[in-house]
Amino acid sequence: MSGTLLKLAWVFLKIGTVSFGGGLVIIPLVQNEVVLKYGWLTNKEFLDAVTLGQITPGPIIISATFIGYRVCGILGAVVATTSVILPSFVMICFATEAIKAFRENRILTSFLHGARIAVIGMIFEAAVSIGKDSLVDVKTVVIAALSVICLFKYKVNSIWVLLGAVIIGLVT
Amino acid sequence: MEEEVRKQAEYLYLQGLRLYAQSAASAGTEGLELVAETWQKAWEMYGKIGDKTKARELEKSMVDLYRKKYLELHLGKEQPAGVIGKFNDWFVFFKIGCFGFGGPMAVFALLEEQLVNEKKILTTKDFLEGAVLGDILPGPVTMDIVTYVGYKLKKWRGAAMSTVFFILPSFVLMLFLAAFYDKLSMSPKITEVFRCLGAAVTGLIVSVGFRLTRSEIKNHYEIYILLCAFVLSLTFKLDIVIIVILAGLAGVFLYSKDNKNDRMKEINE
Repeated sequence: MSGTLLKLAWVFLKIGTVSFGGGLVIIPLVQNEVVLKYGWLTNKEFLDAVTLGQITPGPIIISATFIGYRVCGILGAVVATTSVILPSFVMICFATEAIKAFRENRILTSFLHGARIAVIGMIFEAAVSIGKDSLVDVKTVVIAALSVICLFKYKVNSIWVLLGAVIIGLVT
Repeated sequence: MEEEVRKQAEYLYLQGLRLYAQSAASAGTEGLELVAETWQKAWEMYGKIGDKTKARELEKSMVDLYRKKYLELHLGKEQPAGVIGKFNDWFVFFKIGCFGFGGPMAVFALLEEQLVNEKKILTTKDFLEGAVLGDILPGPVTMDIVTYVGYKLKKWRGAAMSTVFFILPSFVLMLFLAAFYDKLSMSPKITEVFRCLGAAVTGLIVSVGFRLTRSEIKNHYEIYILLCAFVLSLTFKLDIVIIVILAGLAGVFLYSKDNKNDRMKEINE
């Protein structure tokens, strides 16, 4: 139990440290570790975790709570959530303190710029490996395509897209 | 020549004194900074012509000045802290945590409305700086901004308070959902809803990839980095940390000499 908790903490600390580029980039990182490497969740369970994370008001990283709970109960939920928040928390505090030095450090800002690009590549990788499980028939492919068009082209708020998916699920 | 410099230094010193008297009447540290600047110039001039006694005198007044400036800054920060010290104010973050649907911009707008417009604790520039930091550093931008604001208000304790309050509503809701997940996923209707939601979320992931590609990818080197990261993680299952570090090093190689690529500066000018 404590071994799993330690592993959980390590995985989410790692994810919290490298999730450059905002909330949703956490998806490929978590999928990579939690589904592929440790096998704590199946792809379907993971997708449900992400979906629930989208439905709740806070940032998507709250999926960590769900995953932690599935792996180790309430304690796991607390450990996973704290671990995923901690790295950016510490970094923000230090950066706020030294915002001038931080801004002027060209090597650091270039490093972070490169890191952000890598994370985009990993987002597409996650889309591919999640898509293998989630896009299984015409209906799901159509929903995914509509979702891309609405979100990317027409910039609809994601909550409406998810609501639309719920309605499609209910009526068909 | 020497006499001229001495005269000028004397003049600067007096000008500084006058500014000092003026700034004592008004609040804020801007006046004091101006005084420090003029005295610094005068001090340099005395140094040039080798008048050590005058230079030392000036040094002493400058130390006093900085002490006063420090105190002023300190007191200036204490005031809003006193306002935010009440529990009710930290509750702002809880409220935002409850209604933060719709991503960073929604949270950004809520925070700005509450803290900048209503309570007048932070300035808009503070806010933009937080947003840029959140954008550059890991973690969701919304939470980064909340942590940043908390830190601005009351250092580490403030950061911890704001972050915990912000995350609490979603955390509790998510715990409930996770606990009921097994029961939920039994019914075939719910399973179908989740299947459709899953497809929509897959679309969401793709669209985030597209959106970031459009905003971040500016030249073909960056496309190569993106493709390398994609292939390395898809086919070689390389550890995420290694991929991120490799790409970061590529970034250092590509941009550390480039002056255009400076997002933080844009905000401040």
